[in-house]
Amino acid sequence: MPRKINFSSFSRELNVHKNQLSYNEMIPPVVYDEAGRELPHKPAALVISGNDIYRLLQPYLSVRFLDQFRAVTPLAIYLAAFQIFILRQPVMDSGIITGGLISVIIGLMLFMEGLKVGLMPFGEALGTSLPAKAGLATVLIVVFLLGIGVTFAEPAIGALQTAGSLVDVARAPYLYTLLTAWAGTLVLVVGIGVGLAAALGTIRFIYGWSLKPLIYLSLTPVLGLSCYMALDPELAKVLGLAFDCGAVTTGPVTVPLVLSLGIGIAHAAGKGSDSLSGFGIVTLASLFPIIAVMLLALYVSAQVSPAEIIEAAAIASAGTTGLAWFERTPGLEIIGGIRAIVPLVIFLLLVMVLLLREKVPNPGIIGFGILLCILGMIVFNLGLSYGLSKLGEQSGGLVPAAFTSIEAVDSSPLYVMSVGLFISLGFAWILGFGATLAEPALNALGMTVENLTNGSFRKSTLMYAVSLGVGFGISLGVAKIIFNIPIAWLVVPGYLLAIALTWFSNEEFVNIAWDSAGVTTGPVTVPLVLAMGLGFGNALGAIEGFGILSMASIGPIVAVLTTGLYIRWKLSRRDLQAAQQNLQSTKPEGI
Amino acid sequence: MGTRDLTILTDVSMITCIVQRGKAEAVVQAAQDAGAQGATIYYGYGSGVRERLGVLGLAVDVEKEIITTLVADDQLDRIFERMYFAGELDVPAAGIMYVTRLEKAATYIPQDIIERIAAKGEISE
Repeated sequence: MPRKINFSSFSRELNVHKNQLSYNEMIPPVVYDEAGRELPHKPAALVISGNDIYRLLQPYLSVRFLDQFRAVTPLAIYLAAFQIFILRQPVMDSGIITGGLISVIIGLMLFMEGLKVGLMPFGEALGTSLPAKAGLATVLIVVFLLGIGVTFAEPAIGALQTAGSLVDVARAPYLYTLLTAWAGTLVLVVGIGVGLAAALGTIRFIYGWSLKPLIYLSLTPVLGLSCYMALDPELAKVLGLAFDCGAVTTGPVTVPLVLSLGIGIAHAAGKGSDSLSGFGIVTLASLFPIIAVMLLALYVSAQVSPAEIIEAAAIASAGTTGLAWFERTPGLEIIGGIRAIVPLVIFLLLVMVLLLREKVPNPGIIGFGILLCILGMIVFNLGLSYGLSKLGEQSGGLVPAAFTSIEAVDSSPLYVMSVGLFISLGFAWILGFGATLAEPALNALGMTVENLTNGSFRKSTLMYAVSLGVGFGISLGVAKIIFNIPIAWLVVPGYLLAIALTWFSNEEFVNIAWDSAGVTTGPVTVPLVLAMGLGFGNALGAIEGFGILSMASIGPIVAVLTTGLYIRWKLSRRDLQAAQQNLQSTKPEGI
Repeated sequence: MGTRDLTILTDVSMITCIVQRGKAEAVVQAAQDAGAQGATIYYGYGSGVRERLGVLGLAVDVEKEIITTLVADDQLDRIFERMYFAGELDVPAAGIMYVTRLEKAATYIPQDIIERIAAKGEISE
């Protein structure tokens, strides 16, 4: 009898070996102790072989690598393409920069994963059990100290210190000393600012305070100090740094760790149900460090005179021939990485063990996560020095060639003044707009906002509003460097406008708008923009290249508040029209 | 009021497939390509092999997606096999899948299909 077999089932049979095995064969034997009681079964650790390890790790690693790859590569390609096609300059040290960018990608990948498995479990455990086991005062102290700790761990903060080496001591002595001799203190006061903000934000959660008065109250000293410092020619040069510090603090470590603790506490206090409870801390954490840095600058100016600083710098530079191993790369980065993570871990451990008297869950896995964090930080810092900072500084230094003559480019100016200026500002605008639109944190914020406002504020609306704000902010910041505009002239009116808009907006939009400034400054954008600004400033002979980041934080605030007001106006007009139509349609019946 | 019909389906099996978060879409697609009508996905947490892998266990997501799909007994083996490979269940800690024989099922069945089958005399009262 002829039989037919489907060829595909035949070939499948050849490829897939089906075996049957009774599950009964696989069960472990039951073990009893001497007294005849059954012992709990403890499965042995599973050992898997090379190919299986590869198949297990391959999807895990590639997803995480691609996440960071997508964040870094488009920006780098944009900068390089702009330099090659518009400025017609080859990218110098392209090999080193590529290596640096790869280590940024790998470093961020390791760091983020380490953060997830090593540090976040601590944050979650603290958030849930701390409010239950300790009083409000203790909780607030822990929150405050945590704020300081996370600031040191923030990857972008390292970029500030790198930036210090680019400042000319003779022209901006206070700025130079803040970034070199006082660099540790600078990060500490920024941390104190973040810590105070976190504590205040937590109190706000618990008592359900409105954000508006807090914004007015914290902006008053910001603006007052800015005006005071703007009048002193030496101190005015520090203002750009102070405002930029506010933008640097709200990165990928601070936001999740501080928020998880704050929200946990608010939940424990029974006030967590408010839809806006997560907002506000980010805003305060970007305003308080500004005040802190200004106060530090005032303190430094009372301690030392500019002449002394220049003298000290001269002595220091004379003695730089024999730097210790930890003051040179890569020793500097290794020490930096360890110093960023270890104190935070020790603090979290102390709180966990001494205050909460709880055991650390899965110490092996958490230890591994912390190791990943430190390793990631070191690799990221190396990439920061060799990749991001170098690339940003280089393209920042070359962009002015579009409109003015600079040493590095022979045929400069490449374009007519007006065209060149337009190209430079357009370059900055696209950089800000594109980098912000690609920021994953913005996407997440957009979703939250769409849910909060029942769809009246769409996700794409928010994303475009914020990105436009950042684009125009960065352009303004670049214009500040080109035309040598004092930063106070831009920042003070900017914040005054934001205050005015805040006054007319409702609570929800105020929360969203002020927080949106914080999410735009990720670990890739910050170093790139900082270095670009400094390179730009150096090429133009400007005194300092700070201030671009601070403009990039005011921009989105104003943009989102304006959009919010526009949406409210549109909604109220629609309601009005609907009411009028109702009136008209009911009229004939009335008559 | 007209009478309403309820047609009982017999010879139905349920495939349940538990995979790591993010894999479900591929598994459902494979099942549908092989002729399954639909699938339901829900979310859960699971552990077991992950804890025994040590540090390598970090590569395994504790969040799982659970796919259930109802298939005819005749297509069961085909779909089962396709889903197994689409979910890459031959990797350590990737998940597990199993088949439950069902007594009966009922759902909306288009009228023309009922008539076609009835014409063959394969519907019992």
